[in-house]
Amino acid sequence: MSFLKKYNIVEKFKIIKQFFDDHALKKSSLHAVGISLIASLIVIQFSIPQFYVSATLREAQTAGDQRNIGGGELGRIFKSDAGSNVYDQFRSNMHSYVLAQRMWNQGWGSKIFGNGTMDEEYFNTIPKNHTIGQKAGAFLLGYDLFEYYSAHDLQAFIKAKARPTKEVKATNIVVYVMDQNKDFAIDFLNAVILETDRYAKEHLIIKSKEIIAETYKQLATSRNSSITSALADTINSEFYKIASLENDLPYHIYFIDPPHSSEYPVTPKVSSIIFSNIIIFLFLSIAYSFIQKNKEDLW
Amino acid sequence: MVNEYFQLIHYGGSFYYYIFELANFCFLAFFAIIVYKLNYINSNSLLVWVGLFFTPLLFNYFLIIPEMYGDQFEYAGEIMSLKSTGESIPTIEHTTGFASSVFNYFPHPITFTSLVLGTVPLPNYMTVTSLAFANKLFIFGTFLWFKNFFQDENKVLLCFLIPSLILYSSLSLRDTLIIILSSFFLLNLLRGKYVFAGLLLYPIFILKIQMFAIFSLYFIGRLLFRAHKSYLMIGIFAATMLVVGLVIEEDVLMVMNTYRLAFSAEDFDLGGGTFSYAGWAMYGSELGETLKVHSIPEAIYIAVLRLPEFLLMPMPWNWTNFFYPIQALESYLLIYLYYKLASRRQLYKNREFALLTFMLFIGLLMYSLIMANEGTFVRYRFTLFYPFLLALFYLAYSKLEIKQS
Repeated sequence: MSFLKKYNIVEKFKIIKQFFDDHALKKSSLHAVGISLIASLIVIQFSIPQFYVSATLREAQTAGDQRNIGGGELGRIFKSDAGSNVYDQFRSNMHSYVLAQRMWNQGWGSKIFGNGTMDEEYFNTIPKNHTIGQKAGAFLLGYDLFEYYSAHDLQAFIKAKARPTKEVKATNIVVYVMDQNKDFAIDFLNAVILETDRYAKEHLIIKSKEIIAETYKQLATSRNSSITSALADTINSEFYKIASLENDLPYHIYFIDPPHSSEYPVTPKVSSIIFSNIIIFLFLSIAYSFIQKNKEDLW
Repeated sequence: MVNEYFQLIHYGGSFYYYIFELANFCFLAFFAIIVYKLNYINSNSLLVWVGLFFTPLLFNYFLIIPEMYGDQFEYAGEIMSLKSTGESIPTIEHTTGFASSVFNYFPHPITFTSLVLGTVPLPNYMTVTSLAFANKLFIFGTFLWFKNFFQDENKVLLCFLIPSLILYSSLSLRDTLIIILSSFFLLNLLRGKYVFAGLLLYPIFILKIQMFAIFSLYFIGRLLFRAHKSYLMIGIFAATMLVVGLVIEEDVLMVMNTYRLAFSAEDFDLGGGTFSYAGWAMYGSELGETLKVHSIPEAIYIAVLRLPEFLLMPMPWNWTNFFYPIQALESYLLIYLYYKLASRRQLYKNREFALLTFMLFIGLLMYSLIMANEGTFVRYRFTLFYPFLLALFYLAYSKLEIKQS
């Protein structure tokens, strides 16, 4: 009981009760809740439900070893963070203009910006709308705006939509897309991943062919048997590499979990929007009532 | 409400983001009004704190991109993961600093911070900014506690209007929690409440081991050496620290060099995308050797040489964002404030002040020795300096201290 007396709990409880009677438990609060529900409905109506489509990939290769930087504990910290560069390469390829061009040629521009017709003549002439700001900028600086959608737009779309992520010390890469159409998102994500890998493979095949061609030249002029043997080994290994690249299997990465969608949309979260709006409007009602009654004290 | 899909949806700057975070602001503002009605704060404090509660909405996505303080995503991800699944996020699970058997006693600092801040019953934990509101409530609680020691509430309020404090408490970081616990520790120590101060060393150890090192020395100095009672004891305490340091020199140097190299590696940038630990791992090994300190006297010498830079940074030639000039001016102001408070009622003649300042000096030396990245160390300096400033403010203005003097 002395605790209650010391902190004057009963008195404080009465003050809080009085506060609620004066500012919260009144008609205006009910109105606020009503308005909040209407506001929530409006927000929810204008919201676009989005599915989460993701794929989990694993790097098929790892980069070379890192140099030791000295100190046991320190060495471990740095080594674990240095990691491989496969992820960086994969991400750069995925967001590159070359990849967007390749996907554009496969008709993805039509699926995204047009009606899905795979006719090349059609998807190269999908009219593009521009904002007033873009038009004003082009007019003032004296350049022409693109009349039709192009691979540039597809590149921007891929960059904005397909997001690869990799935890600092993990080995898996998660690529995800959020879209209202889950079937489209699954196809799109699958195509982006496979095309990214295919592009990397083609680059490596070209590189290997160049190495082989140059090594043949060296082989023709070489007189030293050990050098000749080494050059022959190089040619063999490059041919082997080409053989392993010229198939449909992914090279840089492989699927642990192919693209799949969440069962239900993950955003917007309806309950949170309603709950938050109730709190905001109720607070505004209470704060208004409180300020009205305590104007003199507050200012 | 908890965002179970935090790792997927950041709601970054969207309309939803502002709805969720406005609800959190409303909750805190309502709490401030209740506290005002209960006569715990005056009308000035009410208005100022409602303004301060709004600041998290002004920083992330509005004034700055949250990636500028990228750690925020880890804290936010951790709390949402803990609240929705009961498990830590993978990055934290992979980096538990201690063996799993002692993990429960020494959780990861991010997990611990998230658990503590997560106790605040906010309406939403949906975005990267939500934990900042929890930080705000904790700092408000500190204000309520701290002002009890003073007659003039408005003066205390000014202590909570320091730009860096507003900035860090408006972000989802652990710095606010470190500042609060450090302030509690120092004030309890100054009031002679050793048991409570000793208990506070435990969370400080989890959150910031560097601060733990400084405070545990202070604790020993005050409790065992009674160094706050005479200058002689301060001298004996300092000599003992030096002797012990020399006896275990190898271990001390190993720890110091580890931190020195780690911070340098974090700050490493060769350009062209070669930076941080990865860049260091490739090119930093030779530089690492030159950074190593080989003896305690050498460490002290380097620390003293670098102390002015540490106190005054960020230097004008390093200002790369609009916070830097503000933080530079603030650092000059805080040093001046320390001097002004010290000269009040000739506080510099007080032995308590001498020990307090000595410990602050040790802490500053330690940080100046390992200093690397400007942004990080401006933050570290503030988390160290501010609790000492509050403690000094207590010595200068508290009702009890004035009465005793």
